[in-house]
Amino acid sequence: MSTMAKIREKLAAGERLDLDDGIALFKHPNLLEVGALANEVRERLHGQRTYFNRNFHINATNVCVASCMFCSFARLKEGDTGAYTMKLDEAWGKLQARVDAGEPVTEIHIVNGLHDGLPFDYYTDLLAGLKRIKPSIHLKAFTAVELFYYHQRYGMSVEEVLTRLRAAGLDSLPGGGAEIFAPRVRKKICDDKCTADQWLDVHRTAHRMGLRSNCTMLYGTIETLEERVDHMLRLRALQDETGGFQTFIPLAFHPDNNALMKLPAPTGTEDLRTYAVARLMLDNIPHLKAYWIMLGVKTAQTALWFGANDLDGTVQEEKIYHMAGAETPQAMTSDEIVRIIREAGREPVERDTLYNVIAEGEALISDKPFRRTVRRSLEVVS
Amino acid sequence: VIDLVSERTHLATAAPVDLFTLGRQAAARAREANLGRGVFARARQLLGTGAWRGPRDAADAYVEDQDLGALGGLSAAVEAGARTLVTAQAASLREAGELRKLLRLPYRAGESEAERLGRLDEVAALVRGGLALDGVLPSPEGEPLGLDTVRFVALCRMHLAVPHVIVDFARLGHRLAQMCLGFGADELFGPIVSERALRLGDNAGNPAMTRKEAATLIRGAGLQPFERSAGGVLAPFELGAAPAPIPVRGEQ
Repeated sequence: MSTMAKIREKLAAGERLDLDDGIALFKHPNLLEVGALANEVRERLHGQRTYFNRNFHINATNVCVASCMFCSFARLKEGDTGAYTMKLDEAWGKLQARVDAGEPVTEIHIVNGLHDGLPFDYYTDLLAGLKRIKPSIHLKAFTAVELFYYHQRYGMSVEEVLTRLRAAGLDSLPGGGAEIFAPRVRKKICDDKCTADQWLDVHRTAHRMGLRSNCTMLYGTIETLEERVDHMLRLRALQDETGGFQTFIPLAFHPDNNALMKLPAPTGTEDLRTYAVARLMLDNIPHLKAYWIMLGVKTAQTALWFGANDLDGTVQEEKIYHMAGAETPQAMTSDEIVRIIREAGREPVERDTLYNVIAEGEALISDKPFRRTVRRSLEVVS
Repeated sequence: VIDLVSERTHLATAAPVDLFTLGRQAAARAREANLGRGVFARARQLLGTGAWRGPRDAADAYVEDQDLGALGGLSAAVEAGARTLVTAQAASLREAGELRKLLRLPYRAGESEAERLGRLDEVAALVRGGLALDGVLPSPEGEPLGLDTVRFVALCRMHLAVPHVIVDFARLGHRLAQMCLGFGADELFGPIVSERALRLGDNAGNPAMTRKEAATLIRGAGLQPFERSAGGVLAPFELGAAPAPIPVRGEQ
């Protein structure tokens, strides 16, 4: 019996896939076989439903004591070229402007550098101020890497950090900073960050406190396929323990403007395969998000047939991946997202951060035509 | 092999044929037609001004239909060195003589698959009538969407008896162009250069890729990379060694 047939049998019998299965799926010569299998699982879990939300990002500072090799966003200290730290008024103003404009935004995604010169109150005040402007806004803020840094920098336990942030308005955690759990890779590309165990412990603590979170995997740098599968299995194990992860988000490496710029970017088929394998391996994480900011709209849309059931949100003002060469727009309107989902043959569902349905079906109908201009090709002479 | 008559009947009544079924069959047909080869060529374009765009040592030299008027017609373009004609007008290919003939096939987001099949029917009839097409280039009008594109590429492969379904990576982007190679396309078309372009500042949208990048995309799609030489001969392209590992900090 072929490896693929065995995997198919396992899935049909409700058995879990293991490390060898994951590697076999990555190495299988026919992407469409793997994709079709992932699509079956996706449709079994979610049917045609495909989620998105109305959100925007605040990256309050890019000053960061870490020097991750894949990062194009961070600046080591204040005063360095391109370094910035928002005044609280400036950060709050981003929400106020949207409230004044009547934009029905439901979530703010907040991720920052590891700034060594800010008081902890900066972060609690940031959250509290945002909640004052719009109490119903969901604040999905601070990666486990940031939270672990606050624990070290401000001499509090992770639980205490989370308790104080929660009291200020924190609602859930984003999934960033996981990169790849393999120590070999972390030592090479993000040695300054917390370890895999520390990252997982932060999420374990958050889940125990009743906070939901997402999880990610940065792929396409120097990791092996085994290390990708191992990463997924470690997330799956924590999910078995806590059930607190909502969404897994594979993040494609962008090679421009960073120390790994000699590496090629992941290719389209690699993106789709990683999504498909993730859907098959992570049987206990309900959602798989095609983060269009990193993947590009075209690949993200295609990923909706390779396991993904979420397109993230309207975003706006994303900085981290655009500084790494992402060529995607800075934002999409909800109309655009709805149309992209519909044109993929799926049913769009607007959700809040916790996957409660806000609108679907007729409530999302838009007559606006989908038109985005083609990026002009530059003349190339070598 | 998929039955396109049923496909059309199916379209009239229900959802189109499943993406994976269509993709698998288109990929199988492409393999059959091209022995599992994925092709790229270093090409340069003859512009309406008479100038060339692309590497001087290119193996292929093409001219787009809309530039022929300014150039003084097809024979003037051939005299200037054009070896391939790329056009969206099937009729103009009849005059192309010994030139390699590539037909752009437009598609746009939102149109029905039935409309597309109708257009493909017309091209298929021309091919059956003796038009010696070397390949077709699915060409999006406006920003292409991912699924839309791979589906159209697969339909082209299934519906047209042409040797090559070619993807224009400058229009589709590298990622989507590679995906199309898994859905029946077998050739990459676009600027292929000597050195990797650093995509910084004004150059951020530069779609050019190197031969090695082209070959990597082709191999990643499960095809064997081949490069087309000036005489149209296909030669296997060897990718060479993997890049050196990145040193661990603190180690030499």
